Amino acid sequence: MMNFNAVFMYLTGMDLGTFLQHLTNGISLGSLYALVAIGYTMVYGTLRLINFAHGDVFMMTTYFAFYGVSTFMMPWYVSFILAIILTGALGMLLEKWAYRPLRDAPKISIMISAIGASFLLENLAVVLFGGRPKAFPSVKILTDSIQLGSVSIQKLTFVIPIVTVIFLVGLLYLINHTKTGMAMRAVAKDYETAGIMGVNVNLTISQTFAIGSMLAAVGAIMWGLKFPQIAPLMGVMPGLKAFIAAVIGGIGNIKGAVIGGFILGIGEIMIVGFLPSLSGYRDAFAFIFLIVILLFKPTGITGEKIAEKV
Amino acid sequence: MKQKKTLLTLIAILILFVFVFIADQTLDSYKMRILNLCAIYVILGLSMNLINGFTGLFSLGHAGFMAVGAYTTAILTMPDIVKTQNFFMTPMMKPLDTLHVPFFLALLAGGILAGVVGYLIGAPALRLRGDYLAIATLGFAEIIRVVFTNTQSITNGALGLKGIPVSTNIWWTFGLALVTVLIIGSLINSSYGRAFKAIREDEIAAESMGINLFKHKVIAFTIGAFFAGIGGGLLGSLLGTIDPLMFRFFLTFNVLLIIILGGMGSITGTIISAIIITIGGEALRFLDESMTIGSLVIPGISGMRMVVFSALLMIVVIFFNHGIMGTKEFTWDGLFAKFAKKPLAKGGNKQ
Amino acid sequence: MKLLKVENVSMIFGGLTAVKEFNLELNQGEIVALIGPNGAGKTTAFNVITGVYTPTIGHVSYKEKNITGQRPDQITKQGIARTFQNIRLFKDLSVLDNVLIANHLHLKSNFLEATFKLPRYRREEKQILEKSLNLLEKVGLKDAQGEKASSLPYGKQRRLEIARALATNPTILLLDEPAAGMNPKETDDLTEFIRQIRDDFKLSIFMIEHHMQVVMGISDRIIVFDYGVTIAEGNPYEIQNNQKVIEAYLGVAEDYA
Repeated sequence: MMNFNAVFMYLTGMDLGTFLQHLTNGISLGSLYALVAIGYTMVYGTLRLINFAHGDVFMMTTYFAFYGVSTFMMPWYVSFILAIILTGALGMLLEKWAYRPLRDAPKISIMISAIGASFLLENLAVVLFGGRPKAFPSVKILTDSIQLGSVSIQKLTFVIPIVTVIFLVGLLYLINHTKTGMAMRAVAKDYETAGIMGVNVNLTISQTFAIGSMLAAVGAIMWGLKFPQIAPLMGVMPGLKAFIAAVIGGIGNIKGAVIGGFILGIGEIMIVGFLPSLSGYRDAFAFIFLIVILLFKPTGITGEKIAEKV
Repeated sequence: MKQKKTLLTLIAILILFVFVFIADQTLDSYKMRILNLCAIYVILGLSMNLINGFTGLFSLGHAGFMAVGAYTTAILTMPDIVKTQNFFMTPMMKPLDTLHVPFFLALLAGGILAGVVGYLIGAPALRLRGDYLAIATLGFAEIIRVVFTNTQSITNGALGLKGIPVSTNIWWTFGLALVTVLIIGSLINSSYGRAFKAIREDEIAAESMGINLFKHKVIAFTIGAFFAGIGGGLLGSLLGTIDPLMFRFFLTFNVLLIIILGGMGSITGTIISAIIITIGGEALRFLDESMTIGSLVIPGISGMRMVVFSALLMIVVIFFNHGIMGTKEFTWDGLFAKFAKKPLAKGGNKQ
Repeated sequence: MKLLKVENVSMIFGGLTAVKEFNLELNQGEIVALIGPNGAGKTTAFNVITGVYTPTIGHVSYKEKNITGQRPDQITKQGIARTFQNIRLFKDLSVLDNVLIANHLHLKSNFLEATFKLPRYRREEKQILEKSLNLLEKVGLKDAQGEKASSLPYGKQRRLEIARALATNPTILLLDEPAAGMNPKETDDLTEFIRQIRDDFKLSIFMIEHHMQVVMGISDRIIVFDYGVTIAEGNPYEIQNNQKVIEAYLGVAEDYA
């Protein structure tokens, strides 16, 4: 073991323990990106819309959870569950007010509406919750650290991927084996035809938003536990990165979004870990990655080419 | 008839400058600042409208081009002593630390550099379509911002630049806004402008009419970036302080709001809307500040103004998606027709 | 000289062969029609010639120069113009603008000359305007020049689309179902119109058409497609009497004629 560690260190300039710590960190960050990315990919798959406000929906969850615990004195698990449900409702309202009226409008209009909704949520948060960051409630049994040999790792680092996998399995079951899921797949293929075939399109799109938002909410709560400072603009960067993850994985594809999330999360942590001098550029990596992917494989690593009809 | 219209245009320009002269003599510095901002936002709005409204490219990279223009202008105009004061963490890179040029050349350099950056970004990004282009340009703008935050010896990183000489005045802003209107107006009404509009209307048809899509998109994008750089340079020199946080996506959003409200594809609309949004933004400032009515003090809610702005954007997009002007323009013919109270003669060649 | 030569072109999407081993030779002044049931791959053949698709196999040459794989704008610039099955005008722009735009490809001035209205650009713009107005006069749309393209009646939109294609100075014109949706009177006019522009502009025409009346009336040769395969080729008389064609296609022709 000692020898292996020495070889590893010689090769990578990094001690094996540190490497594993980076890897677990990368996996847990990647899980969070994945959960948020699913919402982007589901909405894109259905409406061909980049839901710019998704990151802000993510932000709202943390405030719901915060007020549940701090103002309403609820136990954390009650508050968290309520926050997830409220976020689902918020996603549905967002779709109903900001996107549904524009469903048949030019695509640029609906994107602008999405940008407007994003800013509206951010500024509403400033007005309602104040611009100064707040401390997310800490949950001891989740945020404690455990000692593994020489390194201590936060329990959360393991909890996050496990929770992610559980929700992912649930989602895939829902989509592939239930009637709701079938309606969602039909609407994603072609919502006009699905409507003619008797699928309730509005309800299905609403459900898509609810599910996407709730998954982002799960991600948001774990994000809050991991980085316990919440602020009105906190959703912007994770939102953009999760979107990038969705593009990397091939937008519209749920498994792709998860793979993209992990690639991005692990990649980001590893680059900063191996090249600390570039840590200032951390937020730029994701975008550079995005642009490279868009240029060389614009439909993502799982996507297929779509030809335009002439 | 043609000479008469040219004469009218010249008279209108003269009136504008009389207005500027009177404003310069009589208004206080706060009001002057708002007027300056109006003109700068006209430039920014037009530059974005050229890309998004006339050519139909959904670009969200404006803040990045503005940052390039603002930093270039600032660095090229700041006196040595101010540079030394600013760069106390890491000394400024040579020869930038002692380089300066007159304000106009600095602005021009800012515009040209922004144009070059626009060209370099456009060359790969403009191969993408629709929302992919939007997200890629947004990404490039963020990359520019992150780079500026980290190039300590050139941009002073996150600390930003303070004490930029305030060379911007109303003559510069209104003069350059007028130049921008004339240049972009002339471009739009040329064969190239028609090609841009053709691309906006139908890319496939435009391409089959022999229009090289990529070349024309790059031209529109680069010119748009150039004027965004000029606007950014003016803005930095008006405010006297810039830092990377100023050039977040929010700034792009502001300009986007202007072109949506004014009408994507209308120069007149952009001018009207830039003025409305700038003055309206100031007028709504009371929302953020506390108000005293008699003995009652209503505390201001900071951020309320932006709530109104974002709601406004959504309302315009959802209910009035053509904005104030749609793709229509003010013309003397239109004005005569209005006075004559009869519809504009159809098919009449503009003579 | 063979103006246009399509050699052994196949276009395969995924596993689907849309066009199989398509051959075409178009001579100066000829009108050749491509017919076949819906979904037979006719428009795909057009898209291969005009550069929208690069053929999976085979090549296309124009004036004995290989143009396979070139972009649509490059191909148009060399002299092959087209119209679309579902009219693709620049809807929100005026009739005149639609035609002016089609002149842009031959503009020599760069964008700076155009913006600052330098002499060369002013000269070119004047020529373009004159040429476009002449063209509109020829196709009978001069009075509508200021109107929005989308406000024209259907038949005139078709005409405008042809005028727009002509403005690119083509030697070959590709018409994708020019008579679609027209009544018998309009169809007669169109037939005459096509013949007239062929003579006036010294064109060779390759067209897709369902109206047998039009096809039989003006075509020098007809190619029949079925499921991407050329099942017959010949003059109208030969096609009308071809057993394969009758079986595959003309049996249902009453629906179209």
